[in-house]
Amino acid sequence: MKKELKFKVNGQPYEIFVKPKTLLVEVLRDLVGLTGTKRGCSSSSCGACTVMLDGMAVKSCSVLALQANGTEVVTVEGLAKGNELSPLQRAFLDHGSYQCGFCTPGMLMSSTALLTENPRPTKLEIKEGIDGNICRCTGYNAIVRAVTAVVKGEYKEAK
Amino acid sequence: MSDYSVIGKRVHNIDGTEKVTGSGKYTFDVVLPNMLYGKILRSPHPHAKILKIDTRRAKRLVGVKAVVTGKDTLGRKQGIWRRFPELCDEEILCRAKVRYIGDAVAAVAAIDEDTAEEALDLIDVEYEPLPAVFDPMDAIKEDAPQIHEGVELNININRHIEWGDVDEAFEKCDHIREDKFKCSSQAHVCMETHDAVASFGHNGKLEVWTSSQSSYYIQRLYADMLDMNESDIRVTNRHTGGGFGSKFELDSAQFCAAILSQKLCQPVKIVLTREEEFTATKRRTPMYYFLKLGAKKDGTMLAKEVRVITEGGAYTAMGATALYLTGFFSSFPYKYPNYRYDGYRVYTNTATTSAMRGFGAPQSTFVGESQIDMMAEDLGIDPVEIRRKNGMTPNYEVPGQAFIQSCGLHQCLDKIEEHIEKRGKLPPNHGIGVSAYGFMSGGIFNWFNTPYAFSAAVVRINIDGKVDVYTGTCDMGQGSNTTLAMICAEELGVRLEDVRMFSGDTGICPPDLGAWGSRQTLMGGNAVKMAAAECKQQLIEFTAAKMGVNIVYDLDIKDRWVHLVDRPERGVSYFDIVKEAIRGKDGVAIMGRGHYTPHRKGMISPAYSFGVQAAEVEVDPETGRYKLVNVTTAHESGTVINPVGIEGQLEGAIMMAGGYGFCEDQPMDEGKILNPSIADYKLIRSLDMPETDILEIDTYEPEGPFGAKEAGEGLTNPTAGAIGNAVYKAVGVRIYDLPITPEKVFKALKEKEKQQKKAKK
Amino acid sequence: MSYQCPVCNKVSNKSALDLARHMIGRGDKVHRDWINSKGFKYSELLALQFSSFGGEGFKSLAEVLEKEAKVKD
Repeated sequence: MKKELKFKVNGQPYEIFVKPKTLLVEVLRDLVGLTGTKRGCSSSSCGACTVMLDGMAVKSCSVLALQANGTEVVTVEGLAKGNELSPLQRAFLDHGSYQCGFCTPGMLMSSTALLTENPRPTKLEIKEGIDGNICRCTGYNAIVRAVTAVVKGEYKEAK
Repeated sequence: MSDYSVIGKRVHNIDGTEKVTGSGKYTFDVVLPNMLYGKILRSPHPHAKILKIDTRRAKRLVGVKAVVTGKDTLGRKQGIWRRFPELCDEEILCRAKVRYIGDAVAAVAAIDEDTAEEALDLIDVEYEPLPAVFDPMDAIKEDAPQIHEGVELNININRHIEWGDVDEAFEKCDHIREDKFKCSSQAHVCMETHDAVASFGHNGKLEVWTSSQSSYYIQRLYADMLDMNESDIRVTNRHTGGGFGSKFELDSAQFCAAILSQKLCQPVKIVLTREEEFTATKRRTPMYYFLKLGAKKDGTMLAKEVRVITEGGAYTAMGATALYLTGFFSSFPYKYPNYRYDGYRVYTNTATTSAMRGFGAPQSTFVGESQIDMMAEDLGIDPVEIRRKNGMTPNYEVPGQAFIQSCGLHQCLDKIEEHIEKRGKLPPNHGIGVSAYGFMSGGIFNWFNTPYAFSAAVVRINIDGKVDVYTGTCDMGQGSNTTLAMICAEELGVRLEDVRMFSGDTGICPPDLGAWGSRQTLMGGNAVKMAAAECKQQLIEFTAAKMGVNIVYDLDIKDRWVHLVDRPERGVSYFDIVKEAIRGKDGVAIMGRGHYTPHRKGMISPAYSFGVQAAEVEVDPETGRYKLVNVTTAHESGTVINPVGIEGQLEGAIMMAGGYGFCEDQPMDEGKILNPSIADYKLIRSLDMPETDILEIDTYEPEGPFGAKEAGEGLTNPTAGAIGNAVYKAVGVRIYDLPITPEKVFKALKEKEKQQKKAKK
Repeated sequence: MSYQCPVCNKVSNKSALDLARHMIGRGDKVHRDWINSKGFKYSELLALQFSSFGGEGFKSLAEVLEKEAKVKD
């Protein structure tokens, strides 16, 4: 039996009826239509589906959609403000912190959540922050460099 | 050569903003009207006859639209080695027999994935299990079960390479070593699993969106398997979430989606699960390596003999090429005057082994670089010195095989030697291991039997001066679209933002063999450069006429300025000239065509890149656990087109190749892969990733566009060997089989301790 | 001196040994049948090849080809 899910995605309120076993990632991709969030393993080990739920990074393949009831979800589509990319997005571009790009939304969400929680992480803390996300292309170091540059204040928040 | 205005600049990938905003569309994201979802039923047996498949119960499930089995296919067999019919051996949907756990036997299309999944359980397959064989050393025995009819000793293919007089040369050696190694398998672990949306229309034409490294190969293989005209099949490669060698053969998602769609004339989407990705797609070839190496006292290596037996798995795939390349690259990067290679690829009842980044060379480099360090120690020579003494140099001919033009190996060795000296005395239990490698820039061989040029491109300049490039090359994340756009912009004299890429779509792009064997920069790049040059020539002719310049002057275009080379201030705007030239051509856009096929460049590749890597490890002698501290690579790839891209390739290769040496493995029990999930398949995560330093060496490759050559795949070759040598330097134990796990190091340390005690008594 | 494959007519300008490598390397049914018709067992030749250094499997076939496949230039 479907139940009602009320939540906000990137600031926009949604009321959707979903089956109890439907996953958050399925709602985001298939019902809300935000396909930026990827799915790499469906067992919360690769991190491609990472989104922010009330400010915390979660793997949306391991969260039931109904668990998100009443929460605010931010996906990769919610990072830019209008046509201004977020500091992390710009840093990722400059540092070549993506290649195939399939892990990138998850990486960005993990790093954004990390900086929300801890605006001045050490290099080790950055590495820990993205340790749940697999990137098969870049070897992580370019991602760590990009986050470090943001921490150092090299990229200002868009006004 | 620093007067380039685009090449060598640090730029954003041209698809970068799509990737950091999540707006890029992958096949995984494609949804079409009226689309169904497919799932594939796979064999639970490593080797069995299919006696009967009953799909009636599945067909009755509400929401199921079609169920297909091998009987719904034409029964053809696919293979990349199309010139050799006996090597086309994979039906994909098996008709009479399954050969590994994961072989496809049926596929379902339903209104959603859950229904399709449920229907799989309702398909009744009756199997008669057959005796199976898993290890190639068992499979080549006379009494082993036969996996393919008529294939003696299960030997799928054998390859031989030889030059000089090996037997005579060994007689002259002062020291000969014989060593055995075993190289393990490795999964590609693309973040986007294999997927396809196939849409067969009532007009008899097939359209496919798929994550792939070669749209042209997929199109051609579809044509073979479905008995269709190539031109009635359009394969489009969108953003591709990684390939690494796994995505240029027709796979079960692509084939089953097409067969289902053909039945229904509705689009069908199949996305492999992560477990299928691990168990039912191809993987790196495990190899048993037998090496014999002979040298003079002074370290001059006179002869090498190599025997390799590889675990082929169930089908040929690209494994035959891996068998050939591992044999050729076993001689790399050294000048062996006498060399002999015999390789045997053996069918086994395991998942098929095929191409993976490095294509046989990571295996040959691990074993070769381990053995050369042992040889150096035997002779009392420094590891860098022995490599210097025997290393390849520019303009060297590998006898009868290949001609190497540019080669910066010796500069790389110098840089690595400096790096090691700079590190000075290492802390206890640290060791630095060195490994040298070389790799090709695209293959010359044409076992696929394409009648087309290996690479081709069309460049079109529109009325506003903006440039469209059409090429069959595939960007799977390695950044080829950016590199090719940079080559086009440089050649044409415009800016990178003026260029738009259309790639990997067989409907609109000229064929290109695709992204494998490090082809795209050199071959795709030459084709794009030629096409851009043809456009530029038309503009220059028009400008010369319009400006009435003296015939002695040369014209060129740089940064959107058409000008006299000797007097750059005399010129006209590129944009103005384009407008006028198109008007002058009766309104036809400026078009240029380019193509590239290597001719008279030997048998392997038109160009080779080289490098030397030093890996530093810290080993805990109590437990055998070790840490990758630093990996420094001196590397040359000709002119660097896209520096950000190269850094990414290099660091990414260390993640993958370090994983091959350090932790990645696919243990099996009776043909069943025991770790088919990302949780259980250990790969390098951010915390395990070592520091990576790059020492770029300048070279210029005459055969490549603007002097460029391979830059990324070859970097997968050296790391496992460097790690092995580093562990040896740190604690004095040599590991002969990959991966070099802490457990193996621990056991070897215990064994060493035992031997030392024995020696004392 | 050249040698011509009795099955597919491929010509080797080098030696009978080189042609033996071709025949065993090609390894399809027609080549195998010819080899077997000369009293060899294809699988035994292969086994000889992959179990030792020195290319012994090729050598015995080369002796036969030396007599049977030589072409006068």
